Formats: sequence, C-alpha cells, structure tokens
Amino acid sequence: MANMNMIQALNSAMDIMLKKHPSVVIMGEDIGYFGGVFRATEGLQRKYGEHRVLDTPIAEGGIIATAIGMSVNGLRPVAEIQFADYIYPGFDQICSELARIRYRTAGDFFAPVTIRTPCGGGIRGGQTHSQSPEGIFTHVSGIKVVMPSNPYDAKGLLITAIEDDDPVVFFEPKRLYNGPFDGDPTKPAVPWSAHPKGQVDEGYYTVPLGKADIVRAGADVTIITYGTMVFVAAAAAAAMNLDAEIIDLRSLVPLDVDTICTSVRKTGRCVVAHEATRFSGFGAELLSIVQEECFWDLEAPIQRVTGWDTPYPHAFEWEYFPGQARVSIALKTVMESE
Amino acid sequence: MSQHVFKMPDLGEGTVDAEIVAWHTKPGDVVAEDQIIVEVMTDKAAVEVPAPVGGRVVSISGAPGDKVAVGSPLIVFEVEDGPTVAAAPEPALAPAAIVAVAAMSSPTARSGRVMASPANRRRAREAGIDLSTVAGSGPGGRIVRGDLEFAEGHSPPPSASPIAGAALAAAETTEIKVIGVRRLIAERMSEAKRNIPHFAYVEEVDVTELESLRQHLNVSRAADAPSLSYLPLVVMALTRVLETFPQCNVLYDAARGVLVRHRAVHMGIATQTPDGLKVPVLRNAHSLGLWEVAAEIRHLAARARGNKATREELVGSTITVTSLGKLGGIASTPIINAPEVAIIGLNKAIERPVVHQGAVVVRRIMNLSSSFDHRFVDGYDAAAMIQALKELLEHPATIFIPKVKSK
Amino acid sequence: MRMKKHSRLHLPSAPARPGEAPDFSYVALSPAGAVARPDINARARDIGSLSVELVRVLDDAGNAVGPWHPHLDASELQIGLRHMLLTRLYDERMQRNQRAGKISFYIRSLGEEAVSVAQCMALRPGDMLFPSYRNQGLQIARGIPLVDLMCQLLSNTRDMCKGRQLPVMYHSKAGNIFSISGNLATQFPQAVGWAMAAAIKGEDHLAASWIGEGSSAEADFHHALLFASVYQAPVILNVVNNQWAISTFQGYAGGEQRSFAARGPGYGIAGIRVDGNDFLAVYAVTQWAAERARTGAGPTLIELVTYRGAAHSTSDDPARYRAKDDHEHWPLGDPIQRLKQHLIVLGEWSEARHQALTVELEALVASSWKEATTFGTMTEGPKLNADLMFEDVFKEMPEHLRKQRELMRAETGRPGAPGTSRT
Repeated sequence: MANMNMIQALNSAMDIMLKKHPSVVIMGEDIGYFGGVFRATEGLQRKYGEHRVLDTPIAEGGIIATAIGMSVNGLRPVAEIQFADYIYPGFDQICSELARIRYRTAGDFFAPVTIRTPCGGGIRGGQTHSQSPEGIFTHVSGIKVVMPSNPYDAKGLLITAIEDDDPVVFFEPKRLYNGPFDGDPTKPAVPWSAHPKGQVDEGYYTVPLGKADIVRAGADVTIITYGTMVFVAAAAAAAMNLDAEIIDLRSLVPLDVDTICTSVRKTGRCVVAHEATRFSGFGAELLSIVQEECFWDLEAPIQRVTGWDTPYPHAFEWEYFPGQARVSIALKTVMESE
Repeated sequence: MSQHVFKMPDLGEGTVDAEIVAWHTKPGDVVAEDQIIVEVMTDKAAVEVPAPVGGRVVSISGAPGDKVAVGSPLIVFEVEDGPTVAAAPEPALAPAAIVAVAAMSSPTARSGRVMASPANRRRAREAGIDLSTVAGSGPGGRIVRGDLEFAEGHSPPPSASPIAGAALAAAETTEIKVIGVRRLIAERMSEAKRNIPHFAYVEEVDVTELESLRQHLNVSRAADAPSLSYLPLVVMALTRVLETFPQCNVLYDAARGVLVRHRAVHMGIATQTPDGLKVPVLRNAHSLGLWEVAAEIRHLAARARGNKATREELVGSTITVTSLGKLGGIASTPIINAPEVAIIGLNKAIERPVVHQGAVVVRRIMNLSSSFDHRFVDGYDAAAMIQALKELLEHPATIFIPKVKSK
Repeated sequence: MRMKKHSRLHLPSAPARPGEAPDFSYVALSPAGAVARPDINARARDIGSLSVELVRVLDDAGNAVGPWHPHLDASELQIGLRHMLLTRLYDERMQRNQRAGKISFYIRSLGEEAVSVAQCMALRPGDMLFPSYRNQGLQIARGIPLVDLMCQLLSNTRDMCKGRQLPVMYHSKAGNIFSISGNLATQFPQAVGWAMAAAIKGEDHLAASWIGEGSSAEADFHHALLFASVYQAPVILNVVNNQWAISTFQGYAGGEQRSFAARGPGYGIAGIRVDGNDFLAVYAVTQWAAERARTGAGPTLIELVTYRGAAHSTSDDPARYRAKDDHEHWPLGDPIQRLKQHLIVLGEWSEARHQALTVELEALVASSWKEATTFGTMTEGPKLNADLMFEDVFKEMPEHLRKQRELMRAETGRPGAPGTSRT
C-alpha cells in the first residue's frame, strides 16, 4: 500500500498495464516526453519507449480514429483527450465508429480502446476546461462510461477498462486529482494522503465496471452520485445530520441498477447529484430508473442536483457549481415531503 | 401454375410512391425474368423496373401518370411452379403479432384524486385502507404516513414535523374498522370537501318573532301534532325563498357537466343517528304545509334513527338543511351534500342583548351558517338568498303569504 | 444589410449539366508512358510532379508503354479482366434485383472496376483493406464468395453483419477487409492507425484505404494524411476521383484549383495521380506505393482519376444533374474494354473468349444468387432471429439489454429462447 493521489494512481495503472500487456500503447497530446499536462503519464515514455507512449498531433478526431485502427490490429490503445471539453472533434469516430465496430461486424472486429479524459470544474477553467459531458456518451449504444471519485477506484477501474474488450470512455474529475473536495473552495485543500481511498495497492488489482460503491450506508435517504459530487453530497448530508446512504456509481454504463434500487427501496427517498448540466443529463436517466423500479417505495418526489443549464462560466464558478447549499436544499425538500 | 403478385418496390431509400411513366408489357404477354416491364418515376429518380420472375402477365395496375403506392400490387404474373426455398423456414411473424396491443383492463373508475406519495399508496393498499376515506394532514391535504397509521388505529394523528420518517410513538388505542355507514359517510364527506370549493356564509337572524309564533303554535297545536322546533319553520321559509333562487335548488351532474335545476324542493334533513349522520329526504317540501312538514320530519328522523329508512327515503334531495339543535353553536361550516350546491345550517337560538329600534334590548338571535358550491353559486347570490331567508324568518307572517304568480 | 449588385464569390461550376454537351477539357492528361517512375525511396519533396501529371501505361491502341509498365504475366492480366468483368456483372444483376424489389438498396462501381481490382491484386493478402462503399472489386479480387456478398445484401441468415448493416456495407475478417461505414471518410485515419500498429509491432503488412474525392473534404481525410505523415505509417491512401459525389461536382471538394494527389506533398507525403481506368497503370502505381510502405519510405496518396459511370446509388438519378451521355465521352475510356484490347493486342485474348467468359460469369452470378436466396430473402425463407439485435453491442450483454430483449420478445409475442441466436 502507498499513498497516492488520483494522478499517481492512474499513472500506476498505466504503468502496470504497459508492463503486463505488450499490446497496450498510450497516446495523446503532450503525454509522452512531457508526461501530460496533468502529469498522469509522467515517466511512462522513459520507461516504455516512444513507440508505446506516443505523443500525437493536436487532432482529437485523428487520435481516436488511429486508436481504433490500432485496436483493430491487435493493440490496446489508451488515448488521452487532454480535456473532456476537447473531445468533440472525435465525436463521430467515437459514436459512429468506435461504439459500433463490434456490432456492425457481428463480432468479427472489435475495438478495445480506452479514452481517458479529465472533466469537471472547480479549477477556474471557464467554459472550455470545465465540462462534464458524460451524459452525451451514456446515450450512445456500445461504449462503456466510467468516472471514478478517488485514487483507489481510479486505478482499479482504469486497469479494468484497459483490459476490457469493449471501448470505454474514462472520465477523470480533475478537481479530485489531488484531494477529495467537499464543494467549499474557501477551505484549505485536503490531500488524498489524509483519506483512506488515497491508500492504493501498488500492484495489479481491478475494480469491476458496473458495480457501484456504497460510500456510506444510511437509512434516511439515498444519494446517487459520482465523481466530484460524491464528497459534496456526503458533506451536505453530514452537515444536516442525516443518515444518508451515498452511492458512488463509478461506472455509468454499465449501470449498477440493483444497488440503486435496493437502496431506494430501503430509504424511500432519493436525491440524484451530478456536476453536469441538468436538462437531458444522466441524472434524468437515474430518475427514470428509480421511478420505474422503485415507484411504490417513494415517500417523496426524487430530487436532482446538477450544474445549471448554462456553459460553465469563469467568473461565477461557485454559483454554477452544485455545492453543498444546492445539495442541502434538495435533501431538505426530499425529507420534508411525504 | 401459380400467381406471383409483384408489388411496387421501394426504389429509393424511403420513397412512398412512384408514378407510372410507361408500361412495356400488357396482360397476356409472356415476359422473361429481368425483362423491363415498366418505367416509373420516383421523387428521386426515373427507374426502369425489370420483371422479378418470368411468366405470363395476368394484370397490371395503374396507367401512365398514375401514382402507385410502394407496396401495392403493380403486376400479377402467372408463373410455373418451381422448387421453393429449401432451408427450413423459421415461422415468420404474423404482422398482427407486431402491431397487436394488449387490451387495457379498464381502470377502476375513480372519483376525485387522492393525494399521497407512492409509498403511502402502497402501504394503504397492503393494509386494505381506502385512501379516499383517509383525511390528509399534509400540505394540500396530502395523506402522510401518520394519517395512515391513524387510520389503521396505530397512532395519534400526526403533528407537523420538520423531518418526517421518524416512527411516531403509538398511544394506547382501540381499533375501529371503518365500515358500513361510517365508511360511506367518510367517503362522501371527503369527496365533497375535496371536489367542491365551499363558500361559507354566516348571518344572524332575529328570531324573536319567530319564537313567539312557534310558542303560540306549540301551545295551540292539535293533540296529535308534534311540537314545533325551528326546523320546520326554516324549511317552510327556505322553500319559499328557493322560488326566487332556483340556482340553489340544483344538482350538479359532473359526468355530463350539467346543472340540473329542480322545480320541486326535496329537502334533505341532516339527522344524527346511532350509526352516524344520515340525510333522509323530505319530498316535495314546497307543496307541504307547516304541520305536514313537522310531522314528516319527525317521521323521517325516527325511521332513520331506527335504521328503518328505505333507500328511497335517503336519496334524491335537492338541498339540505342541518341543525344541531341545542348543540348548534354560534357558527359552523357545513359540508355540502353533493351533488347539491347548497346547505343551510341552523345554529343555536339564544337571547342576547342587541340594539333594536335604537335601544339595547334582549332579543332571541339565531345564526344561519350556510355553505354554497362556489363553482356554481356566486357569493352575491348566496348572500342575497340568505338575506331573503332572514327577511322571511324575521317577519314570520310573510312565510305564509302566497307569492303573486305573475304581474 | 446592403449588398452590392454583384457577388464576388467564386463558385465552382460543373463542366456540363443536363442538356449540355459533355466537356472534359478540365481533366489534365499526360500521354501514355510519358511520366517518369522515380525510385521507391524517393523523398516526397523531390517527386512533387507526380501529383500533377497522370501516370498511364496503356496507349490508345492497347499497347503497354513507358517506365510504369508492370510487365505482368498474361495469366495475371486475364485474372484481372475476369475480376473486373465479374464485378460489373455482379453489379448489373444486383441493380436489377433492387429494381425488382428483391434487395432494398445497391451501389454500382460501373467504370471504376480497375481501381479496386488492380489495387487489390498489387497488394498482399495480409495487407489490410479499409474500403469505401464503391470498392466491391476488392471483395471479388480477394476471393470473397459472391454468395457471401449477396447474403449481406439480403440481410438473410447467412449475412456476415447479422442484419445490422445497409446493403453493400460488407466486411471480411478472413479476407482482411475492414467493415464499410456509412459515415464517409472515417476509415481513412483508421487505416493509418492500423498501419501504425503494424509498424509498432514490427510487421511488414501495410494498410490501404479508399475514399471518394467528395469525402476527401472531411476532416478525417486530413487527420489521415497528417498522422500518416507524422508517423510515416505504412499506408496507401487512395482518393478515387470519379468526378461526382452524388450531384456535387469535384470542384466543390477543392479539385478545381489543385489535384487531389497534390494534397500529399502538402503533408510531406508522396502524391501520385494515375489513370484509374488503366489496369496496368493502377497496378504499377499501387505496387510502387506498397514497396515504399514496406521498405519504410512512408505513405503514399494516390489519386485515381476515373468516372462514376452509373448513378451514385439505386436512390439516385444522375440525369437530373449531369450531361446525359457524359460517361461515353470520358477521355480515359472503359477499364474492362481497355484491358481486353491490350490482351487481344498481346494475342492472349479474343472476342470469342470474352463472350464465353461473360456467359460463364453471368451463370456464376445467377447460381450464386439462387444459392444466396436459400438462406432467406426479404420476403421468404428463413429469417434472422430478432434477438440478434441485442447481441454484439457489447462483448457481454449487459442487464439493460437483456431486459429490453425480453420486452421485445413480449411485444412480438415470441417466447424467450435462452441461448438464442440462430445464424
């Protein structure tokens, strides 16, 4: 066991994969010699060479397309898109190609590509460095969508994603790279070393896709969340002295419907929280599932906590960010309704 | 020999029809497979259509210039029977199977909406509680969990608590099943209260003179006549007033969205019985004299209390009067006996010091507390009607002066 | 907004529209045998003229001339002719089948047969092909049975795509032919990635991909050239310039100002322009590019100058946007006719043999169709199990798809068949 922040945990996962599977290659903008703008691939090129840790042109569409071609030729590319905000030039290659190669060839060809991309706000990134576009990808049949909330899960999930024979879009909430964040930017930053999930096995281990983590068991209300909002939601519930059950989905596709429904059936109350925008967001899918599966157990209307339906503004970052206040209002509403 | 019906193919991606440009064959012709048989024009292209099979043309559909829908027969061939497709076919789906929609079991007819969370609905269902009989104490009359527990006899009625969900301590209790008349009363009351926007109107009536008349009549009554309370007098006055306010002698037919005005006044008389409230009906009250009214009320009340009232005696009222007699209080908010639109309540008549003709004197005062269905009776009309009733009751002789039929 | 009377915007115009006389004066031609053949190790920057000239081997009389003459055995040429003729007859038959309502859609490659057939023959079986939708000659030259192709068109029980793709979107794992996408140009950078992987793995296979000149306008084309250049990937990138993208004239893809081959030198890639209807020239240029790729001299962009003889697809009618007899006036002739003439000049072919071959291949197409229909047609015979819809979305079917499959079964009144899929 070692203390690792999320960057180090991701780096460790890629290190282990490069060593274990000769077919694994890492590619992306600035990821080779320099080690990535967030340092996630630091040292990997020195260790495994330029032919397995490739710097690429600044062309996300080209990165994803060539990764697909490589995967069809037996490699397991791990492509980094420097910011999730930059993923759109590769959107056609992800949705029309990557997601469907197994399907359209009836399994004759498949494309085990992992796309890593830092997402989310709270880092003064403005509207082009703060987006959470995961819901756009969960809407596409044929790709798995993952978002870890801590170093331990990040490493185990990334290893699983790379070894998975299906394409995975792996979102990394960059506000959590260096420490858990409860949504209050005025408080001093807390490092992962002070958190149990910052204790990471240095060797090979996996965290399965499609299995949610019950971060805290509770009886009053179920909070379904992932990424940055896991800690914000936990802090808000604790401040209200609520016995909340907090579910960190970790993987959005496939989704652990059983864990969600077991919890909501127990508590009868549900709040869904994500940092991404609200309208047609992934939260809407979660609400639908809870409504369809747990309707007769609901004591109150399900509440949704999200970013506002605007671009992520630079100057109003904390008014935009769904912090503890927004979570508290939702919790109060769901607890007071009956 | 067998027939092969060739239907207009979809010649582009998603074309719906094609116009016949020219036929290159006619009935009776023998054509070879792939021979061009017709030229057609779609919105995308001019297309020559070859024969899909060889054979003799039996019939063709559409003349040049006609549009033929994709999928409708274009040409019928008579063909030699050949060996058909060899592989064992999986039974193809009957199209009906795809379009068939499960017949809906008709939803149970529900009158009015009950407000309750899904979880409480489920609890009610499991406990066999009809939610329409449960009074809701939550916001907007919503039935909360505590209401259900109360209804089940588990606990005292809930008090508003900021954080719900904590189990409420159960007091020492006795369970009484809500059944029979009580259940019916409960259903009807909550339905009326839920559906009807009640407009309540309270007015005080100086019944000093009415009281003297009543005293006089009671003293001088026939041996077999019942003693008079205020009720028959008010009923008499009310029937008179309704001549001028027919909009209050009305039944609302919600299903048809129609207000049914009744020429006859069938007066519901709210009556306390051991089983609970019943409303026997004084039929054709407008055509009865005072003593008949008094006798009939007495008769109906006795039958109701003795549980002897027939169904006919308990239905069909067009307006209701309710009186708690000595327990009448100073004001009440009676619930309309739906589908009626008005209910007149009598409060207790008591002597009070009032200013009368410039001097403080003791007078006998009785309040009338009435409710109207505000959807159909405007406040102005309701008030005017009660004022007219007050006018009659304060000058009781006028109750008995026949109305001039027409001027 | 106020606008001046005359727009100063330049708009490319097609040389001939319906009712006008065909005009191909805009096509820059070089005489057969006139273009030099550089060494395969030549640097892209030193051979820029190849992207402007037109490599041709067959002259008008059917003789093979000049430095690009590939000196193929007559037997190989006869095989090439057979593949091209089979491609054309297959196309004709499938076009008729679409018109007769037997398949829903088809795309012919009339006039472009030499592109796919000669290029495929110049490559090795282990080279990976990333085709476009008008490259059926690749499938035929790689020996994919016609029955397999036809079953795909029919979406029947032997369809390689299990009913999931539009007709003509074939693939062949065993034949090293990648799946065709309806989203144009996506395969171009994928081929580059495949080639990069081959290089990383130290294998000497190369990748080749094809797009039309129209779809070279897509960003994917430029990604492909850029990545191919940056990593000097062993890839052959082919732009089939058949002049038309449905109704869009090649001028709208930027062909008016500069040849498509000339995009290559801009990226530091060898660009070469070739007579796409000259079997020998296409073969020679492809062989040259393949040797470059295999010896580490880098990628090549080939522009194959040809003409789309037929409609874009069965949904299209070119009489609405181009001169009626355009194809007959195409200055580079017909690829089948030209190779046939060459073989006759060589004394290795005759009209009679050609006629006999045509009859033989027509019979092959007919018998293949008959066989294909035994696996089901659009209206009769065995049908694919609709359960297949839910398979291969992921390697293992996730719970939500299992549920949806159950719902679909219930909707269509079919019992759930555990284990399911019939292929």
